[in-house]
Amino acid sequence: MSALDERPVTINSGGARLHAVLHLPTEPRGRALAFCHPFAEEKKCAHRSMVDAARACAEAGWAVLRFDLRGCGDSPGRFVAADLDDWRADVVAAMDAAARETGSERVGLLGLRLGAALAAQVAEEHPEVACLALWEPIVDGGRYIQQNLRRSMIKAMVTAHEGGEEDAGAARAAGALGEGTVDFDGYQVSERLREQIGAIDLLAQPRAYAGPVLVVNLTAREEVAGPLAELASAYARGQAVAVRQEPLWQRIGVIDASPTIEATLTWLEQRDD
Amino acid sequence: MADAQLKQEIKEMIVERLFLDADPAQMGDDENLMENYEIDSVNLFEIVVGMEEQFGISFEDDDFSVDLFATVDSLADFVERKQAEA
Repeated sequence: MSALDERPVTINSGGARLHAVLHLPTEPRGRALAFCHPFAEEKKCAHRSMVDAARACAEAGWAVLRFDLRGCGDSPGRFVAADLDDWRADVVAAMDAAARETGSERVGLLGLRLGAALAAQVAEEHPEVACLALWEPIVDGGRYIQQNLRRSMIKAMVTAHEGGEEDAGAARAAGALGEGTVDFDGYQVSERLREQIGAIDLLAQPRAYAGPVLVVNLTAREEVAGPLAELASAYARGQAVAVRQEPLWQRIGVIDASPTIEATLTWLEQRDD
Repeated sequence: MADAQLKQEIKEMIVERLFLDADPAQMGDDENLMENYEIDSVNLFEIVVGMEEQFGISFEDDDFSVDLFATVDSLADFVERKQAEA
């Protein structure tokens, strides 16, 4: 592996100054990716995998800008004030910054989970996006909200079983609306953001984005899950692939993301269009 | 008592979704899943999603209890009950 060329970058997104890290290739190919992270606890769990992916892409000649949406990670702002409109603007600002910082004429988007859904939404309005690599995108936001709350309830149930104080009833109470927020496993989510995420439906209509799209399903199965296969087919140039890989976003710790990264690099290698 | 085919499908679903290094055919119907396979809350969530997708059932908030996830027997009984209610 060659020496890493990485440096911090500050992105101006409508006055918000976002934290980012730029991973530069030793042999630039004039292409760059902006990496859209997942939501809340999933971001924390996937952090190392995202770093590994960025470095692998840089090694393969793609500059990668990893950035924190406002209110997340090292970027300023309060998480509870987060808003999908602002986050989509952040993604666009990250694309602009990636182009400016690397001299790349075209910038693609790589996203994981909610970050992938954001990338897909941005691409609908920005045909200049070079390509879209969507890792387990949130296709149905309503179901995603339900699953987040359910995950908290299961965790509380197990904690109580192991002698802790929480129980499922307490988790339900915590997850319920209170003072305009919802508790997502310790993250206070505003009612507005919950509604915006709940309204995500990537299958509601044909996708207008005409560039190349990769949809990656991390699974133990050989076939791509129905909704993700359907999403890929909704794009004119969509492709779905099943990768045997444990979820990258469910546990704190080191997970070898190589299968997902390699599948993505194989696809990126074909992106000379 | 749930049928053997359903129990086998549940075992295969658990092994597959949790990436367990185990032979579904060797899993006991009444062995404690959480203890014998070190199943934690993340795994339980995967089992819930897998059961909903594979067997076409829906969990309600009141359904969640550690006893439900204790064994393949209890999970199979739950699936049959939910399917009968549908």
